[in-house]
Amino acid sequence: MSPSPRSQRIRDPLHNLIEFGTDQFEHTLWRVIQTRPFQRLRRIRQLGFSDLVYPGATHTRFAHSVGVFHTARQLMTIIKRHIRHHGGQVRDHQLQVALAASLMHDIGHGMLSHAFEDIGKTLNLTMAHHEHVSELLIRDSEVSAILCRELGSGFANDVADVIKGGRPGSLYDAVVSSQFDADRLDYMRRDRLMTGVRNSGIDFDWLIANLEIGDVQIGVDDQQLPPIETFVLGPKAIHAAETYVLALFQLYPTVYYHKATRAAEKVFSALMLHLIGLVRADHSHATGLPDTHPIIRFARDADTLENALALDDAVFWGALGMLAEADDPLIRDCALRMRDRRLPKYIDIREKLMPASRPTTAVEKDDAKKRLDRLTEAVKTRLQAWSEKHSTACPRILLDVASRPPYKPFRQTTGLLNQILIRTGDGRIRDMAECSPVVSGIETFELFRAYVDETDSDARAAVNAVVTEELGREADD
Amino acid sequence: MTDKTDRQKAAEIVRDAGGQIVGRTRLQKVGYLLELAGFGDGFRFEYYHYGPYSEELTEGIRMADAFGLVTEEEKQANWGGRYSVFTANAELGQPADADRAQFAAAAAEIDSIEIELAATAAYLAVAERCPDPWAETARRKPEKADGGRLDKAKIAYQRLLAVKTRTPLPQIA
Repeated sequence: MSPSPRSQRIRDPLHNLIEFGTDQFEHTLWRVIQTRPFQRLRRIRQLGFSDLVYPGATHTRFAHSVGVFHTARQLMTIIKRHIRHHGGQVRDHQLQVALAASLMHDIGHGMLSHAFEDIGKTLNLTMAHHEHVSELLIRDSEVSAILCRELGSGFANDVADVIKGGRPGSLYDAVVSSQFDADRLDYMRRDRLMTGVRNSGIDFDWLIANLEIGDVQIGVDDQQLPPIETFVLGPKAIHAAETYVLALFQLYPTVYYHKATRAAEKVFSALMLHLIGLVRADHSHATGLPDTHPIIRFARDADTLENALALDDAVFWGALGMLAEADDPLIRDCALRMRDRRLPKYIDIREKLMPASRPTTAVEKDDAKKRLDRLTEAVKTRLQAWSEKHSTACPRILLDVASRPPYKPFRQTTGLLNQILIRTGDGRIRDMAECSPVVSGIETFELFRAYVDETDSDARAAVNAVVTEELGREADD
Repeated sequence: MTDKTDRQKAAEIVRDAGGQIVGRTRLQKVGYLLELAGFGDGFRFEYYHYGPYSEELTEGIRMADAFGLVTEEEKQANWGGRYSVFTANAELGQPADADRAQFAAAAAEIDSIEIELAATAAYLAVAERCPDPWAETARRKPEKADGGRLDKAKIAYQRLLAVKTRTPLPQIA
């Protein structure tokens, strides 16, 4: 007989004590935390380069993942209460699968968080896609071995399926993916705490106290499907819900899309893309890194799980000294900029392209959006060409185009799952935007920026000239 | 691969599918099936919430709308959500490849949920080398596969198999 396990506790800056019990399920998750893939998350910062702006934001995917599990366990008490109240039976397997998925949802995250994903998209590297790596690790690694041995042969695959699904298929999955999923409820509060920003606060306890289960209609395009159960807020939480949406809206410009953070990501991307190109062209000697370095190994063979797992933030920051002495001028320049935080300064191109007066009607807004899309495309294409032609080291103009709706987007369809839902006093489930003029006024956050070295007056002049010319061309049309 | 912009490629999917595609999901799946059938312009697809999905195609159709190559009209669905209708504008001209147009039109006629299931099964067969892609599709999308929709999706896919393609579609139905 094996010795009885001890309960385990983690002291967390957001949640205080997070306890893993002695029952077989939680003890198994504790063992998953001890595996190499999970321990690797200690070396991946949750916010990538954000500590260049907010020095306290050095928290890791490890701390976040444990926090998500803790939050998921809180959400499950609401689900269990709902099921028992309606005389139903709690499905322990589905519940445990969702809890395990909440703990492991980020297990495959690449170094420097989302910056590395963008490189993967550009070069079509599947191992830079964290959901893909997570799936491989959960289905077939020491993680799956532990899960299957302790919790049943199909358990690991069920966990991977919930993460891969990416949207609530059942009530239990709503804990992993919904507008009130545990991931978001942890990162919103953790990122605020660790960055130190004073906006973006949410009334977590009141939200949880008023979280209910409701039947929500879903569909695909114009086709209707049977409703599914997911989280909705009770009528007393309308102001807390308003704050929740606003908090999400504020986190993007304040933290995730901060200009200096994004500038660092762009320099990192330029460095890595060029480095991978050099290695693939058999010029790895010009990168400053030895042939056995994990970054070189990954650049040479990006399809191997082991090579992806060997990368983490510490590997990149540790390589900077060697990269800063590279023969290649782009690698050297970018590495020195990262090392010394000499980041290019931003120019807000979108602001320059905005019309003098704000559109008010729906038609005016639609026209204004299309006009901005056209101008963005034209300016982006020309500035990319200018930078490619005139750069010998770090690209002289780095471009940044991004957008983010305040809600968690389930792409390809626009329905109630994409909205924060509230049960009103008359029992109807409504989109918050119908109940709150503040929420209905929130638009997708969009940005179009150029990053240019502050001493590079030619590049700055080129940006201004292209913007002026394109605005002039538009006026002529 | 071609030198066309993504907006041109996206707009031509709509044009070739009879001039109109109802729904973003249907647009994505028609685009994916065109790639599988050898008629594609090189959009890259990955598995997402609703099966194979291309961010490039999403961005391409947004730009096609902004540049007036297609018109996107958003409508209210009976179930409470919203969906888009994409209509190709006249300046795009006629389809350049009759076989591609025939295939695109046949795909665009399939119901949104059925084409999602069929495209997902085809994706699982090709990208994930899944031995039983229909069973796997049903497992991943039980709420959509129910109500006889998986069988209807198989029949719809069988009809597509009968349409002329440049590259054979995976024989999964």
